[in-house]
Amino acid sequence: MVELQRDKTFEPSGVHGKLKIVLHDVSGTLIRALGTIERRGYDYRDVHCTQRVDGDFDLLVHIEDTGGPNNLDTLCKQLERLYNVVSAEKVGRRKHAERA
Amino acid sequence: MTTATQFERQQTKILANREPKSGALLLLESIAAQGVDTIFGYPGGAIMPVYDVLPKVTSLRHILCRHEQGCGMAAIGYARATGKTGTAFATSGPGATNLVTAIADAYLDSVPVVFVTGQVTSDLMGTDAFQEVDIFGITLPIVKHSYIARDPADLPGMVAEAYFIAAEGRPGPVLIDLPKDVANALTTERHKWRPYPKIKPEMGQSDYISKAEDLIKKSKKPLFYIGGGIAQGDGVQELRDLVDRTNIPVVSTLKGLGSLPSDHPSFLGMLGMHGLKAANYAVQECDLLIVAGARFDDRATGKLDTFAPNAKVIHLDIDIAEINKLRKTDVYLDGSLKKNLAALNPGEAQCENWRHICFSRRDEHEWDYKSPIENMKTGGVYAPKLLHDLSRRVDRSAIITCDVGQHQMWVAQHCYFDNPKDHITSGGLGTMGFGLPAGLGAKLGAPNRTVITVSGDGSIMMNIQELATLFRYDIPLKIVLLDNSALGMVRQWQEVFFEKNYSEVNLDDNPDFAMVAKAFQIDAFTITKGDEVDDGIERLLSATGPILMHVKIDTYENVWPLVPPGRSNADMMER
Repeated sequence: MVELQRDKTFEPSGVHGKLKIVLHDVSGTLIRALGTIERRGYDYRDVHCTQRVDGDFDLLVHIEDTGGPNNLDTLCKQLERLYNVVSAEKVGRRKHAERA
Repeated sequence: MTTATQFERQQTKILANREPKSGALLLLESIAAQGVDTIFGYPGGAIMPVYDVLPKVTSLRHILCRHEQGCGMAAIGYARATGKTGTAFATSGPGATNLVTAIADAYLDSVPVVFVTGQVTSDLMGTDAFQEVDIFGITLPIVKHSYIARDPADLPGMVAEAYFIAAEGRPGPVLIDLPKDVANALTTERHKWRPYPKIKPEMGQSDYISKAEDLIKKSKKPLFYIGGGIAQGDGVQELRDLVDRTNIPVVSTLKGLGSLPSDHPSFLGMLGMHGLKAANYAVQECDLLIVAGARFDDRATGKLDTFAPNAKVIHLDIDIAEINKLRKTDVYLDGSLKKNLAALNPGEAQCENWRHICFSRRDEHEWDYKSPIENMKTGGVYAPKLLHDLSRRVDRSAIITCDVGQHQMWVAQHCYFDNPKDHITSGGLGTMGFGLPAGLGAKLGAPNRTVITVSGDGSIMMNIQELATLFRYDIPLKIVLLDNSALGMVRQWQEVFFEKNYSEVNLDDNPDFAMVAKAFQIDAFTITKGDEVDDGIERLLSATGPILMHVKIDTYENVWPLVPPGRSNADMMER
């Protein structure tokens, strides 16, 4: 029998956390952001979306990693790469990624 | 590429024109206003309003390919050869889904292409109407951005933004899905499009440039690891200047080939799964890896946690999401590669001993161009030697496009590249069927340059219908078809990793490819012997029209070296 071989580098690391994502009210933005989170190796534990007075949306997601090269700072950058995502940041933690 | 200021000026001009026009005409005029001159497309029901007005926009040349996938890949070839944004059209439903592979290819190789798909009328969307698919939803993970046009008055701004986004920063594909009623509707309105919100930083912070320079100065074994971002970021000359200033050895990914000329004294070759031994050993032994426009792709790194195990990392990339994604970085410089490479000035690296080790190894592992296959000694064609000879005989500005498989790796290993844009290969997605349409797109974009497509017998069958496009437009593409009567790379893996259990790789019932080409009215000939190669290359290169050279090669020829999947690059297998 062949043993299932996985690169140990990409085992679930137990990374979990909350992200606050600000989105423009443009069709496809919400699904694009949620899809990015799933494709980059995270499961949702909780999702809240509310509209702000300026028309943008605050999306709060509680996520947990499912295995992959996971790093919430990288995920935030990948989300911010999406058009109509204004910002993405970890919440509930003080520590931010260092540049160097 | 359009700058943010130019984008704003275009918007102002667009808004000033209030003639009544249909959405279809607004779309085409807006595309033409972006400087687009060539569109690759295939008409159909939902996109007919666009084709109805296409003859009115005379500055647009439409190339009718014979499959929407061909359109998409031709647009990619055109974009990569010209540095402009490509454009491809298809209708709704199957037309749109046939574009999907090309869209994914453009996404993974960061190629700027705007794809326009027809869509059923707005009132039918969501009703499972005839030829309706949710192409917007299907392509969400593989586009840089996408739109569904809901109002013809949005189209001028939407098109301007689409071309801006496709080319800005890290380039990529953008999709516009155009419902038929929106294309048909007349409007005098023009909606203002909000200013494009995300402009990438121009260059990294100056203190990080100093930190990077300090790391380089302290390093005893520095190494550049370069990728496709060098060409995408227009940083070829800046890279060459930096390499010459520092004398640091260089390894390249598949997409980075040509950023340094293949015969540059500091160039060690391609790294990774089919990389050169000197390149892979250098990566394993270096103490500083300067990564420029590369993304630690698994085909380049092998088993990630064994990659450059002793090295600190400086990472230069325009896409900050690539920094620390797979490998922890010690110093990073985001923003324009061109500007960051120009700003780095650490002086000549103090690494003479390291250079000696690297280049002695390079000389030791030079290719010998003798086939390891016994029966080739009876006079068969050895593909690596053919590609080496072809590459040296063609002019240095020639463009080579390839398909995917063994021949793709042989091209990377044995062909000479003077510029990364001369090598058009499907690096990220690895799309069989890419070579021929990409070649025709490249030739249309660069009509004064020699363009050669190297393909395999498996790959060419995936888009062979584009031979008809070559004939229709008399595109003088030169095709080298390496035919080993097998899906060669899969066969090689079955030989090496699956105990020679050959499963569904035998193609010994291939058609006579020269006859197939002739049926499409393309000049073609076949060679089977090594002593026919010289004359074959001569005939190929001297042809004035499209031509196909069908080359029979041994089924059991393999690509070496080979790093087994999931293993360290240090574990290279050899013939």
